[in-house]
Amino acid sequence: MPSPFKTPAEYETPLALGYRLLPFNFTKLGGSDYVLTNQAGEYVVVDRSVLEQFVTHRLPPDSDAYQAFKSKHFLLDRDSDVAIDLLTLKVRTKLAPLANFTGLHIFVATLRCDHSCPYCQVSRQSDDNVAFDMPLETAEKALEFTFRSPNPAIKIEFQGGEPLLNFDLIRYVVERAEQINRTERRSLQFVIATNLALATDEILAYCKAHDILISTSLDGPRDLHNTNRPRPDRDSYERTINGIARARAILGRDRVSALMTTTRASLSRVRDIIDEYIRQGFSGIFLRPLQPYGFAVKTKSYHSYDVDEWLKFYFEGLEYILSLNREGLFFAEHYAAVILSKMLTPFEPGYVDLRSPAGIGIGAIVYNYDGNVYASDESRMLAEMGDTTFRLGNVHRDTWQDIFTSDALLDPLEETYTGSVPMCAECAFEPFCGADPVFHHATQGDLVGHKPTSVFCRRNMAIFRHLIRLLDRDAETKRILMSWVTS
Amino acid sequence: MCDRAAAREVRFSRSIYRLETIKKAAYRLTDRCSFEFTVDEDHIHCYLFSRDQTSVRADDELEHALRNEVLDQDLRESIALETGPIRNAILAYAFSRTGLQDAEPI
Repeated sequence: MPSPFKTPAEYETPLALGYRLLPFNFTKLGGSDYVLTNQAGEYVVVDRSVLEQFVTHRLPPDSDAYQAFKSKHFLLDRDSDVAIDLLTLKVRTKLAPLANFTGLHIFVATLRCDHSCPYCQVSRQSDDNVAFDMPLETAEKALEFTFRSPNPAIKIEFQGGEPLLNFDLIRYVVERAEQINRTERRSLQFVIATNLALATDEILAYCKAHDILISTSLDGPRDLHNTNRPRPDRDSYERTINGIARARAILGRDRVSALMTTTRASLSRVRDIIDEYIRQGFSGIFLRPLQPYGFAVKTKSYHSYDVDEWLKFYFEGLEYILSLNREGLFFAEHYAAVILSKMLTPFEPGYVDLRSPAGIGIGAIVYNYDGNVYASDESRMLAEMGDTTFRLGNVHRDTWQDIFTSDALLDPLEETYTGSVPMCAECAFEPFCGADPVFHHATQGDLVGHKPTSVFCRRNMAIFRHLIRLLDRDAETKRILMSWVTS
Repeated sequence: MCDRAAAREVRFSRSIYRLETIKKAAYRLTDRCSFEFTVDEDHIHCYLFSRDQTSVRADDELEHALRNEVLDQDLRESIALETGPIRNAILAYAFSRTGLQDAEPI
């Protein structure tokens, strides 16, 4: 006689019998391979047939793909009900920096410069025109704004022109900030972005006394650097190398970093450029393309190569750097390290261009020499070209509240949030990417941008794909790439 | 004005696909062509126009690309349908202790 009771199995929920999908996006990686990412940026690469099996709940629990999906929180089954909690914790960790608000405060000490680089993105002024210096009253107001940010870690970066041409202003800001910080008690850091040509031992001793970091420009070997960065005496390279050596001797080796910019002349020289960085004792390089602002547009430098040419340069450089690491030298490519950090850890590195909501205003802010406040360094570069779309206000005329609730800031933040932008919202690379409304406004005349033709999208998607392929290539390559994140 | 005679027509069954799905897939190809849609009782008709006024009538590759994008988009909708509420819950929980949602003005 049949039992009047149902079997336990009949009471089980569909979850107990199979699995439930957790949120994820997918994008074609190449061939029939697809990359899947969850909200925390963890990723899995599978064949499209496996993706389809997974989505239609036909993936066998004993398959490798099932275990990969399970361990990276792409599914819930009867054995893994902690997946949502773990995923949430990781998402929360990624988003945590948002609540800290603006951490990077850029003071444009002067627009004057002793160099005349044709690719200058800030539209520098001649070095005798003091009308382009930031006055002390403007710096005082900017400092007030700086400490209104709730961020427990405040970084004040001096930019130019060449900021050392207005060193009195730097002294004033540093000492006033230190004074204010005696009661504010933030983690306070200073950086001077300088070509070092004017860095006397006295200036460097001051930097040492006030724990100021130096960020300089080094474009490659002598001939390339001097071509890219002209000075009246054609001695930019010598002054930079000399400045790096003296700054290191006084401040310490780890207190000096360098940035390069890729010009047309750099494209065939990536190995030379990397070798120069190694020769100068740096442990990494940031291979940076030109940006569409300032003289870089006016002198047509920006349009002298396209995104595919730059990607070829970048990937060649990356291969060379990997080969050097295989031979035992630790040397990192910093842009790749930022992205790898997003791919391989639950932490958000806070790189302004790769943030969503965008990093403008809420990640970094710029106090220009004339008191105008801009949403980012690129925003003030655009303003020097006559486009003030991202001018948020002026420290003398507007309040902190006026500036941070201005439509000029809130509209681009809201409109470009990648979680709701066409294509971005469904892109597997979204957790690694960012909005960059200033770039899209500058290149496409639209804050959001048309993603199928966006240079930003094309460049970054190619790099994301390449890095995922590299992580998959072999154990040694993966170990090297991971060492860049953990170092 | 786009000439429909030079366009390539690709049909999709309305019993299988939503117009939204086709539009999202088409958007991804807007670097290559522009689109126009009409709908009748059984089908969604998608017309592909070349960006440079040339004919794309014989462009099989473009049609394959569109059809594959539509399949991917359809799969994305299945995922969104199943995971939408969890996605929002995870985000809400992740932000729950940030204080960013407080009503107080900045």
